[in-house]
Amino acid sequence: MSTIHSKNAEIFNKDRAKTTWHDQTFWALREKHDNMAEQLPEWEELRSHASDIKCHTITHLADYLEKFSANLESRGVIVHWAADASEFNETVLDILKSHNVSKMVKSKSMLTEECEMNPYLEKHGIDVVETDLGERILQLLNQKPSHIVVPASHLKREEVGRVFEQKGISKEIGNYDPTYLTRCARYSLRKEFMDAGAGMTGCNFGVADTGDIVVCTNEGNADMSTSMPKLHIVAMGIEKLVPDYDSLAVFLRLLCRCGTGQPTTAFTSHFRQARPGAEMHVVLVDNGRSDIIADKEHWQTLKCIRCGACMNTCPVYRRSGGYSYTYFIPGPIGVNLGMLHDPQKHSENVSACSLCLSCDNVCPAEVAPGSQIYLWRQSLEALGKANKMKKIMSVGMSVLFNNPALYNTALKFAPLANIVPESITNIGHLNPWGVGHGNPEFAKKSFRRLWREGLK
Amino acid sequence: MNKEEFLNKLRANTTQQFDMPDMNINGIKYEDTIAQFISMTETSGGKVVNAKKDDNLNAIIREVYPDAKVIASNVSGIDASLNPDTVAEAQDLNGTDVGVVNGEVGVAENACVWVPQSMKEKSVCFISENLVIILHKSSIVDNMHDAYKAIHMTDYGFGCFISGPSKTADIEQSLVMGAQAARSVTIILID
Repeated sequence: MSTIHSKNAEIFNKDRAKTTWHDQTFWALREKHDNMAEQLPEWEELRSHASDIKCHTITHLADYLEKFSANLESRGVIVHWAADASEFNETVLDILKSHNVSKMVKSKSMLTEECEMNPYLEKHGIDVVETDLGERILQLLNQKPSHIVVPASHLKREEVGRVFEQKGISKEIGNYDPTYLTRCARYSLRKEFMDAGAGMTGCNFGVADTGDIVVCTNEGNADMSTSMPKLHIVAMGIEKLVPDYDSLAVFLRLLCRCGTGQPTTAFTSHFRQARPGAEMHVVLVDNGRSDIIADKEHWQTLKCIRCGACMNTCPVYRRSGGYSYTYFIPGPIGVNLGMLHDPQKHSENVSACSLCLSCDNVCPAEVAPGSQIYLWRQSLEALGKANKMKKIMSVGMSVLFNNPALYNTALKFAPLANIVPESITNIGHLNPWGVGHGNPEFAKKSFRRLWREGLK
Repeated sequence: MNKEEFLNKLRANTTQQFDMPDMNINGIKYEDTIAQFISMTETSGGKVVNAKKDDNLNAIIREVYPDAKVIASNVSGIDASLNPDTVAEAQDLNGTDVGVVNGEVGVAENACVWVPQSMKEKSVCFISENLVIILHKSSIVDNMHDAYKAIHMTDYGFGCFISGPSKTADIEQSLVMGAQAARSVTIILID
């Protein structure tokens, strides 16, 4: 009965103090989002525009990609088309090998996580250095991101400090001050930027009209990664396209306000071509996105701009953490993306949702991740993944609720359940609904009976 | 995969099409746009120094960064020991105490300043310990919609909106200025 998610969540919840801290950390981000939204009277107008622009772009994607790639190529940028993760990884390796690159610095990219690029390149002898502080910490700890925007938020400063000590990045043993640790990382990464042979960035938005690759960071690490090396490789999922600068303005106003509750990231960089004496490559990746377009129920998942707002607000994510889910992207949007990627493998995540739909209400692109999880649950039967116990109960409830006489009789005798000791109904945790819940107490007289008596 | 196959699959899988919405968005306008820009810059961790048209910018920079030894700039009239146009490699700018660049457009809603690449090595904008951006008051707009109508891209094909110093909150959500790029940003706002 228990899903992988619920088992992992149980382990996560063993450290109650840390769970509470995790919950509060992300609720604080949600509150910052609210504060930002309240300052803009046009907030809902921005959301509906974001959704409409994405609907238009996604359903005209081939045309916009042609325009976008032509603009890039007109300025000497080399554009590659990768059908799937392995084509993407091979393309990146080929580019690096043809330039004799042994070390590549990179800024944050969920696409490279999706394609498992780092382990592939490392296997082929490339030293890949993450330069976003959170991603760097995770790389040193050999962990995966637990959130798409703030990837190392599950870690305490002591955990960061200890790994910095082990790796020789921090010299003052026992100094776990975040400012000190950040300075140590700055010093260490500065050396990496100086001698890396290539820099890779993701792409938050591609602008079809101008051929701009737009990358948003707070640290400036995408710019550091591309200002020194003579080779810039962009990893871009095809759904990142927007038509023009007017559209881009809408998304940039929403992205960071929704994600971290800031009015903007510190750096919003626009790359249109290689810097003097350098070379720029853009690898456009499908990896299942063209199949999602054909999915009538779930194609709007492609509107997602990866802001992380749905995770921050999700009561299940906040209390179960990013590692409880089976897909590498957690939270409401991750449940959906996992199902689109491989429903057999990730179907257990769909129960990690209370259907409160808070995510639907904060999503800047109106993806409605919670409503889509509801739809996925309806498809579990067809996937052969429906829970057997729930199925039996559903049949039972159907009989009960479709038979008024039976229902009334059951209701009359329901108070008898009050005298059954909880040690029997909840024996050995056979009843999963008994965990953390007491039995409800049935009233001696039902509402129906009270109503009838009142009428007399 | 070749481009044609890639795009053909996309076209084949697209069964419905939606129009672009009309783009008349009522972007926020501020009563005092300049005051909003200054206040947002300070919130983002930046500093604003007001200057008159004929003020000595070198004196202002000296006053804000009295300990600076290496100044890098290609802005005419700025006393600099390194020039991003003439250094052999981008890496040569490492160790710059203060980089000085021109900003083209300021945005009141979020303190962004558009810095188009106007030097051979853009690393000066990021590698410097401290960054000074020169901006004219008349070029400040209310919001990003207005900003995108006002900005220009140079022939270098790179530009960046910069809002305050480099920052991170990756360790326990505590905000630290100066992650990988400039640790402080000063906007010299010229009348």
